[in-house]
Amino acid sequence: MLKTVFNVIKTKHIQTNQGLQCLGPFTTQACKFSNTSQLCHSEKQTHEEKQNISKAMKAYLDRAREHDEFMNEQNQEYQLGKRHLANMMGESPETFTQHDVDNAIEYLFPSGLFEKKARPMMKPPEEVFPQRKAAEFDETGRPHHFLFYTGKASFYQVLHDTVQHIVDLNRFEDAMIRKGMRPDKDQKINLSGYQWIDKDSLEAKLVETIGDKDYESFVQAFERLCSLPYSYKVKDFIMEYRKPLMSQTKAHDAPKPQYDENGRAFVTTYECLRKSARGDVTIRSPGTGKISINGEDITYFDLLQCREQVIFPLLFTNMINKVDIEANVEGGGSSGQAGAIRWGIAWGLRSFLDQETIEKMRLAGLLTRDYRTRERKKPGQQGARRKFTWKKR
Amino acid sequence: MATIKTLFNKCQILKSKTPLLSTFIQQNGMSQYPTYYINPIYKKDALEALIKSGEDQNLKHIPTRAALNNQTCSTAHDDLVNLFVNYVMKDGLKPLARDLVAQSFESVKRLQLEKYHKCQSEEEKAKIELNPKTIFYTAINNCKPILHLTPIKRGGVRYQVPVPLTDKKSEFLSMKWLIAAAKEKDSTVRFHLQLARELIDAANNTGRVIKRKQDLHRQCEANRAYAHYRWS
Repeated sequence: MLKTVFNVIKTKHIQTNQGLQCLGPFTTQACKFSNTSQLCHSEKQTHEEKQNISKAMKAYLDRAREHDEFMNEQNQEYQLGKRHLANMMGESPETFTQHDVDNAIEYLFPSGLFEKKARPMMKPPEEVFPQRKAAEFDETGRPHHFLFYTGKASFYQVLHDTVQHIVDLNRFEDAMIRKGMRPDKDQKINLSGYQWIDKDSLEAKLVETIGDKDYESFVQAFERLCSLPYSYKVKDFIMEYRKPLMSQTKAHDAPKPQYDENGRAFVTTYECLRKSARGDVTIRSPGTGKISINGEDITYFDLLQCREQVIFPLLFTNMINKVDIEANVEGGGSSGQAGAIRWGIAWGLRSFLDQETIEKMRLAGLLTRDYRTRERKKPGQQGARRKFTWKKR
Repeated sequence: MATIKTLFNKCQILKSKTPLLSTFIQQNGMSQYPTYYINPIYKKDALEALIKSGEDQNLKHIPTRAALNNQTCSTAHDDLVNLFVNYVMKDGLKPLARDLVAQSFESVKRLQLEKYHKCQSEEEKAKIELNPKTIFYTAINNCKPILHLTPIKRGGVRYQVPVPLTDKKSEFLSMKWLIAAAKEKDSTVRFHLQLARELIDAANNTGRVIKRKQDLHRQCEANRAYAHYRWS
């Protein structure tokens, strides 16, 4: 069982079997290796009939067979391991799901490693081992794809399609101008909520490794396509390569306020951090604008700038005399403490404000945690950046 | 164990399907923020204008950087004054620098009020600007040079070549000259008072800083024959 478990512990390896990194056929989504077993059988039959099978095909078939055997073996081991694991955990092996497996592994091999990828795991072999492409050439060794010899057929196919679309759309635009028509403004493609899929996802989609320069040209080509007035006509094609961004204000919902014995609503924000200051902030509503910081009023801060920072969110949302603030803060200096309280007030105020104001607060940079800290001193230097004075002679 | 090793050698293991957070965050030098973060829009009227133009819809999904600790939406806050405070600052003593600038604004107000009350007629009174911030803005605007001289080596000889300045650079020079002029004083005179005088002078297009600017322009004019060394 343990063997199985460790078998599938993931570590990052460099791809070695480059011969199998062949090209996708005519679709951008490449075929998987799983269908090669049928191919194998048919090949064996033809093998008896005619001997003129190419060396490349032969080598490929060998590798494919080897891979299939290996995956079969892995699958069996995984199934067996899962059953063992279910028995160990005292549950029925039939109903033991992958979720249970993950929980069991976390329980049996607790790991404090920061990198999640480095922790022990047990996943089905299809997830652990990379997907590979099926043969891209026939028995005689002739490739199916016209871009086979570029080495990255699927990737260049995507670029080729993009350029084809650009050409088509330009031609279409010319025709429309001749007819005296204009592009439909309502249908204009809105890309604001999306971003281009990142390089890793693109690689997974194409089952090919691409370089940084390649990715750049991918983005450039698509941005050019998007800039065309009639780009909405190929929206489906564009959207295949975009992924939605999360809405920023929806990402964190404000907590419902609690009520104290006087019937006043209050919200406490714990863990308000900035630099090395930490504190908690309680907002009470309705209030008269009283501010108490560690038992003192706003004069707790000597500096004007810090006082300004504390009332910044209240000023911004026009809540300055409508709520009471209580803050406990410790550690760090005055500016760090003021920053921590500012964030705490802004974060807690969300419970008393409408969505529009919260969005405004987000744009004003009040809801973002300021993670910037002092840059460390480096050895061989006077400080973080400053070097020792050095004279050649 | 040996079988495991061979299996590992045989088959490489790819990265997990779900990309890690670190792959989303592009490194942006030493910055804590990724490149796509936008600067905060912390001024209320700027934000209103943005919402009116409908451009805030495009920013809906883009995260913002946290507002800096010298930025507020208060009406007393001013970006240019803040910048000036930073230029006045020495050894990171921001509260002192801020105090000095505030005191010099107060002195500007006092000096102008003094002039105002000494005036006899209403016409003269109307001419006197009493708002220190307006005086500060006009002073900086008046001190901005258009050209400066930069040494360019051609044929073993250094030529002082007149070169146009960017807006940012000329703004910096004007502020630097104002501060330098305020520091050039008797030890009995306070910095904030001298700065106030310089600001008022510059706002009236007179004084040492204006003279310095004009001197520079005159030199540029004299060296106009070298201007072509900028590109040839």
